[in-house]
Amino acid sequence: MTDLVDPHVSNAPGDPADAPDPSHGLSHVTSTGISNEKLAMWIFLGSECLLFGGLISTFLLYKGQTAGGPELHDLYDIAFTSISSFVLLMSSLTMVLAVSAIQRGDDRALRAWLLMTALLGSVFISGQVYEFKEFLNEGLGFTTSPASSAFFTLTGFHGAHVTIGLIMLISTMVLSLRGRITQQKAEAVEIVGLYWHFVDVVWIIVFTIVYLIK
Amino acid sequence: MNARARSRVLKLAPVLLGVVLVTASCASDAPQTTLKPKGPAANTINNLINPVFGVAGIVFVAILGGALFVALKFRAKDDTDYDEFPNQVHGNFKAEIGWTIFPAVILAAVGVATVVTIFDLAQKPPPEAVQVEVIGQQWWWEYRYDLDRDGTYDEIITANDLVIPAGQEISLQIRSRDVIHSWWAPALNGKKDAVPGRTHPLSIEADDPGEYIGQCTEFCGLSHAEMRIKVVALTPDEFEAWTANQVEEFEAPTEERAAAGWAAFAGQCTSCHRLSGMTDPATGGEFEYPAVVNQVSGAAPNLANFVTRTTFAGAKFDLRKDTEACRELGQEWASTEEGLEQCLNRTDLEAWLRNAPAQKEMAAGPVPHPTSRGMNNFNLTEDQIDDLVAFLITLK
Amino acid sequence: MSTTDGPLALGSGGGLATPPMGVFARPRDTPGWRGWVTTVDHKKIGIMYGVAALFFFLIGGIEALLIRLQLAAPDGKLLSADLYNQVFTMHGTTMIFLVVMPIGAAFMNYLLPLQIGARDVAFPRLNALSFWCFLFGGVVLNSSWLLGGGADGGWFNYAPNNGVIFSPTHGIDFWNMGLIITGISSLVGAINLITTVLNMRAPGMTLMKMPVFTWMSLVTQFLLLFAIPVLTSAQFLLMFDRLFGARFFDVSAGADPLLWEHLFWIFGHPEVYIMILPAFGVISEIIPVFARKPIFGYPFMVFSGIAIGFMGWGVWAHHMFASGIGPISVAAFSVSTMFIAVPTGVKILNWLATMWGGKLKFSAPMLYSIGLVTMFTIGGLSGVTHAVAPADTQQTDTYYIVAHFHYVLFGGALFGFIGGWYFWWPKVFGYALGDRSGKANFWLLLLGFNLTFGPMHILGLQGMPRRTYTYRDGYGFNFWNLVSTVGAFLIALSFLVFFWNIWNSRRKAVAASKTRRLTMAGDPWDGRSLEWMLPSPTPVHNFDVVPTVTVLDDFWHRKYGEDEQGRLVRIAATEDVSQKGDATDVHLPSPSYWPLVLAFGLPWLAYGLIYNLWFCVLGVICIIAGMYGWIMEPSTEPGGEHDDHHEPHPTDASGDAAATTEEAALVD
Repeated sequence: MTDLVDPHVSNAPGDPADAPDPSHGLSHVTSTGISNEKLAMWIFLGSECLLFGGLISTFLLYKGQTAGGPELHDLYDIAFTSISSFVLLMSSLTMVLAVSAIQRGDDRALRAWLLMTALLGSVFISGQVYEFKEFLNEGLGFTTSPASSAFFTLTGFHGAHVTIGLIMLISTMVLSLRGRITQQKAEAVEIVGLYWHFVDVVWIIVFTIVYLIK
Repeated sequence: MNARARSRVLKLAPVLLGVVLVTASCASDAPQTTLKPKGPAANTINNLINPVFGVAGIVFVAILGGALFVALKFRAKDDTDYDEFPNQVHGNFKAEIGWTIFPAVILAAVGVATVVTIFDLAQKPPPEAVQVEVIGQQWWWEYRYDLDRDGTYDEIITANDLVIPAGQEISLQIRSRDVIHSWWAPALNGKKDAVPGRTHPLSIEADDPGEYIGQCTEFCGLSHAEMRIKVVALTPDEFEAWTANQVEEFEAPTEERAAAGWAAFAGQCTSCHRLSGMTDPATGGEFEYPAVVNQVSGAAPNLANFVTRTTFAGAKFDLRKDTEACRELGQEWASTEEGLEQCLNRTDLEAWLRNAPAQKEMAAGPVPHPTSRGMNNFNLTEDQIDDLVAFLITLK
Repeated sequence: MSTTDGPLALGSGGGLATPPMGVFARPRDTPGWRGWVTTVDHKKIGIMYGVAALFFFLIGGIEALLIRLQLAAPDGKLLSADLYNQVFTMHGTTMIFLVVMPIGAAFMNYLLPLQIGARDVAFPRLNALSFWCFLFGGVVLNSSWLLGGGADGGWFNYAPNNGVIFSPTHGIDFWNMGLIITGISSLVGAINLITTVLNMRAPGMTLMKMPVFTWMSLVTQFLLLFAIPVLTSAQFLLMFDRLFGARFFDVSAGADPLLWEHLFWIFGHPEVYIMILPAFGVISEIIPVFARKPIFGYPFMVFSGIAIGFMGWGVWAHHMFASGIGPISVAAFSVSTMFIAVPTGVKILNWLATMWGGKLKFSAPMLYSIGLVTMFTIGGLSGVTHAVAPADTQQTDTYYIVAHFHYVLFGGALFGFIGGWYFWWPKVFGYALGDRSGKANFWLLLLGFNLTFGPMHILGLQGMPRRTYTYRDGYGFNFWNLVSTVGAFLIALSFLVFFWNIWNSRRKAVAASKTRRLTMAGDPWDGRSLEWMLPSPTPVHNFDVVPTVTVLDDFWHRKYGEDEQGRLVRIAATEDVSQKGDATDVHLPSPSYWPLVLAFGLPWLAYGLIYNLWFCVLGVICIIAGMYGWIMEPSTEPGGEHDDHHEPHPTDASGDAAATTEEAALVD
């Protein structure tokens, strides 16, 4: 996955070397009118849907296969996970505010909202780490049963995606501090935002399927 | 150049035609062929596919003939001819719609016939069908019969030969103890996978008494090629006699060599093998078998009535010599001293006992361990081997 | 190539540029091997894909010959069961992932930008990353031969036979990691090429004016985009099972082996079309040229390709008719599989209709194209016979299936690709392959191919199962197996002719022109699509001026028009409508080390997971260094970093950039 982070990050500083002629430097001159970077992100996210699709199907098939280990629903703390899900959802809002800030050319607000987004994302990840630790204490390990393997793999993959998103957010902040995210480069933030919203949307699905549906 | 190209094209035609002809008339000495059904299910499949082969053959001739015709008729005669432009046709909507719809109609007809046949073949066998559980493991098949129809398949436990009555429907419940296998006797029905954790039904019926061979057809590791299947269809009377013999309890032998063989067997072989229905002379009851821990599948062939089988080692080797005279003797080939003398494939059996992994590719390993698959080399002495054979041939 | 400042100057300066930002230098003058490892030029990357694929083809071919030698006679003793299982597993995996797919990628990389009138792909460095990931994935997969043996579970590696208990060597781990890495390659490539085709078409090149090859490649890339992650997710499950003790395929814990089958074939069936559609595209370019007629029914060709792409997602369980999925599923997948034959049949008939009434010239590319049409038809028809699910329960896992998919993938995909090699060789290398040898190559291959795989139909129907290391005397298998083995060596011989032809044609061309930098006429076949308006070999910057497209087969219509009677007449000399390739003011993306560095980290992650986690540290360092370098790497473009205001490149239409942009709207 990591290698896929770069197109947008690399374009965040405005590296036109990656965009060859007809479009480079004039990113709106493309056949579709959408910049290469943004289109690529949309295409990538399409592919991600299938990756999560595979993992979600696996979980649905295995959620009852506990092999004598603990039942997943006995361990869930729905209230706790709901709060951390809410926190992640809120981070989508702050992400929108970050994009709108840079579109206005407001650097400081951009950084503030990015920081806020990253903080909310970190809270979610911390919640996930805490939850995993609790489950381990309760006797639900990665290798306990098909259900536990499927649970940790699905939520873990999502957590990894959030973590990659956090790295992207922080990188964008650093670049902004260096003055390399200008109003003209607002699209770079927008592309990071696309990814971030996607990860949030996936979580809504995962949360519903894994935690809420019995 | 074009003349040469043409002659080459023409030379090719007989080759292709030859392929078609030969496909249509397959060799007669193919015992595992799919083209000679010997039971109702296989017949149903054959009746479905034969017309499809016919249609496919017609399309094959039409397209390849058409391509050949077009290639010959419209070839440029020379470079000047090539430089003169043909009529620049961009397409013909009607024609294209036509050749979209026409194949779709043919395929729809094939589809209807197919769907009907699928559900036809999926019908549950009648309750009076013989109930057999088929269990695949690396690299042999176990067959367990539910004679009293109580839902447990425990009356007869045998391996390698699936013995059935001819003219009756047999209900198979196919399972696996390790990886995915596939049970297939092409003359009787299509194949069905043996998937661990699942039970898959399959019905077979043989029109006539006889032997029908097949083999495992889902890749299952090392000896996949030697995980063979033999279905022996008997007349109803013979089958009756066979079952009666199989369920009969018997005592361990007392004759000296065979008794020594039993001792050796009890000491070593019983860590994996079972002899259901045998009374242990030492206790007067059934022998106390230890749990099978040295096999991934947790099982080895049950050797009760061993010499009523015609094959051993996953049907890789003949137990009953494969000669005309011995085949005549059927499953009871070993019931007489004479038959035993004449038909026992002693060479391969002794070689197997001497060093099984050298006879068949298995993942047995030097010391039996929980991930062993298949029989080990136990470094038996020639005396022990003779004793064991003497014991095994008492299992009639 | 060096473009630190001023106009493009090929191979002029030396050494490395001073880093403009003081961070990382970007290589600029790149002669010799360094020019290849740092290249981001889609043409060089395309060539590297082709060369690497041919190398893997040799490996896979040797594996195939070993299989045929083992089976030449009953009770073959050449290979042990264990080795045979590894060889057939690696043969299948290699041919699919490291030969047919990358040959398709080679054509797509080289041709897509040229056919849509672009200077490069959308993300040149990602393109290089794709190639290096593919190469390193292939290396990881094949390094298993030196590190304890290859994977032995078949290319489909069904669970639970792929578990540690049943396959205790690391072969399947190498298989798993290698294919995850090539999966990254395919995914990155798909994102890149889809963006390229959607976004970088020349002015006026609406979607329905794109060449059929471009269309089929676009469909292929969408299939890759959605199919690869499904395989990757399954492979992660397997990796967790094998390396970390997860329980995804542990039946004793309640796992279901059919999960793997479903995930694998949801990937695996679109994969079939991923392999064949580019070849369909290739011959859709070749046949019109040698028939001197436009492709018959362009919209049908395009939409049948799209239809195949969609329907390819609804047929996967036809690989599982014997797996016990229940009669309703079987019936549904049986019918859907039959109907995927409809769009395929449309293609076959449209190719024949293109030839109908034409002036056919049987040069080597044309012969291979007709070879595809006929051989693929055979594979397609046998495909219909096992769409009939009850019949498939007799045919599946027998040699009948082996015959079927070799007719589709060898008789189909490879025949098309070899035709493509003969067709585009002049454009790529500046010399043509000998046509006589090409024809000899074709007839030998056709004969060898049919001798090898034709008899397998018979063997399969006679009940010979696949993936068996031996068979017995007395089953009627002997004769046809021997024929098949002889055929396999004829195929090998035909490829020797091919390689000899490459060597000999180049030798002759060098002797004739007295230079090793071969060039030839840009349009040797009187071609139709945009790449033929460029000199051969294609100049690094592709187009001097970006052509403005008005019709399908634009280049053809620049050469030919109609007179009053509607007859085709030449309206311009080819030279007058071709480009000279002498533009000097074209800025090109600079070469870069970082894709290589980044990709180099991936094998170490794989080895680390298998052997020792410390290797992973090395891998992670490479990846982070690669990404950091990638991001910080300065542009070598004049004006540097923050300059966003370049003049749009000139097009050959008189009108301003804004007008041409509007012409390039998504659809016409």
